[in-house]
Amino acid sequence: MLELIRGQRLPLSSITHSSSVEVAFDIQGSLALDLACFGLDAQGKLSDDRYMVFFNQPESPCQSVRLLTPTTFGLSLAEVPAGIDRLVFTAAIDGQGTLRQLGASRFRIGDVGLPKVACAFAGEIFAEERAVMLVEFYRKDGAWRLNAVLQGFNEGLDALVHHFGGEVAEVPPAPAPAGHVSLEKKVAAAAPQLVSLAKKAQVSLEKARLTGVRARVGLILDGSGSMHNQYKRGRVQEVVNRLLPLAVHFDNDGQLDCWAFGDLPQQLGSITLQNFHDFIDTDHGGWRKWELGSRINTEYRVIEQAIEFYRRGNGATPVYILFVSDGGIYDSRRIVKLISEAATLPIFWQFVGLAGRNYGILEKLDDMNGRAVDNCNFFALDDLHDLSEEILYDRLMEEFPGWLKAARAKGIVA
Amino acid sequence: MAVSLSKGGNVSLSKEAPGLTAVNVGLGWDARVTDGAAFDLDASVFVVGENDKVLNDQAFVFYNNKKSACGNVEHQGDNRSGEGSGDDELVSVNLAGLGAEAKKLVFAVTIHEATARHQSFGQVNKAYIRVMNQAGGTEIARFDLSEDASTETAMIFGELYRHGEEWKFKAIGQGFAGGLAPLAANFGVNLA
Repeated sequence: MLELIRGQRLPLSSITHSSSVEVAFDIQGSLALDLACFGLDAQGKLSDDRYMVFFNQPESPCQSVRLLTPTTFGLSLAEVPAGIDRLVFTAAIDGQGTLRQLGASRFRIGDVGLPKVACAFAGEIFAEERAVMLVEFYRKDGAWRLNAVLQGFNEGLDALVHHFGGEVAEVPPAPAPAGHVSLEKKVAAAAPQLVSLAKKAQVSLEKARLTGVRARVGLILDGSGSMHNQYKRGRVQEVVNRLLPLAVHFDNDGQLDCWAFGDLPQQLGSITLQNFHDFIDTDHGGWRKWELGSRINTEYRVIEQAIEFYRRGNGATPVYILFVSDGGIYDSRRIVKLISEAATLPIFWQFVGLAGRNYGILEKLDDMNGRAVDNCNFFALDDLHDLSEEILYDRLMEEFPGWLKAARAKGIVA
Repeated sequence: MAVSLSKGGNVSLSKEAPGLTAVNVGLGWDARVTDGAAFDLDASVFVVGENDKVLNDQAFVFYNNKKSACGNVEHQGDNRSGEGSGDDELVSVNLAGLGAEAKKLVFAVTIHEATARHQSFGQVNKAYIRVMNQAGGTEIARFDLSEDASTETAMIFGELYRHGEEWKFKAIGQGFAGGLAPLAANFGVNLA
């Protein structure tokens, strides 16, 4: 079998004429590496997130790139869209360590089940790198070629995403506190069923340069009658499941403060990795028994209660509040006043419209003038399932970094 | 307007720039964006005679011997400031001063300690060589090495050579295995 060395290039036609190609990795040593394949455009950018193929997104949209096993990719090169110019296979360390610790590893490329070329690599060719481009397929003069790249970045997956994306927000990451455990590890220990969500959340956090940020996370749930169906179908519980990994990441206590509201607000118990899984059906007797007065919408009372809660003894720690409602807003004037005045507090409001129509003032809060900083964002979904989890996390983290930066500049946030 | 050459192509510098007496040759490549062991590329010039061997040991101009014995070929080192900025290395050549025995100047780039560091030209992007008129700094010819290099650790970028009364420039882009020492030996440099 032909052995490649670092930097070696060759036309794919010199090893196979088949369009179906298998790329298999054999990673040795104690490092936990996450493998991915990035499908890049001619500018070397990941212009379509769906072309990042990894364990959480094991197929590209056209299925030309598939993760077959945790360490094997299958390619159908003839099916790769013309806009994808380059397929870069990467490995990033999950957890501590550098690639210097990598054992005697190799990758093999060839026909399905029949490798034709191999490339050995080990820790000795690396220094402090934590993420690496192992091998790439690229188009040149109408044909695919291979390059055994084997070069990487000290800053890990974050730097790789930056290298391929340029979407990374400009907020400089605050240094992570010592002993900060990776999100995935925290979740894996207590709630293995959330690991897949935690991994996706981690990617969004890294893209938004939020991995070193400490914050408290709150959830405000519309408990009005029109939301009944969302509760019954388990969608509200799913909101909890999706938000919890963010709370665990941002918050050293790893808990999510929670309120529900009808005409009256009620602060519920804190949601944690231990109690989350049936929280909506069990906390305070379950959602049907929550004491929300008549099941109509009175947003301003719950907003007041949350502000009061975080005003007490929170100092200047940033707070991220997710406010979920299907609309039918009451007393817009009071809401505007509360949110405007709260712009001087370290609270960011992410409003999400769920399965409703009339979001009224919630849609407009985002563009309100006369605030110290833009302290809220809004987007609407007909169904929680309309957005992939990855995109949901991206959207949830869309304006938070910008707010953090502005609020820091004004001394609102520590 | 500079002449843009493709691999193997050549151009008469004397015709492109009548009255030409001296040139600056700039060599460059993309600074890499990845981390890892340091990557050092060095430019060298071999002033060779009819037999393709260096005229003497000082006719091998590189980082340890920055000037030829005749003084007409001088390695300027890094050219991060001043004229022709953007080139990674710059060599000035006084064509008019070179003796008739100097038939050809070969411009090569090698990777320092490539083998020990597991490095090769497969990791170098957007390499080029360009020839500028020393008088005025106008670019006369340019060659962008668009070929995909691979495991080579030395690369001949281009040549200045005599053709009758003219000086011409040829785009080479030829890889060479083994690095600087075997390359130098190939041109008859006595390294002992």
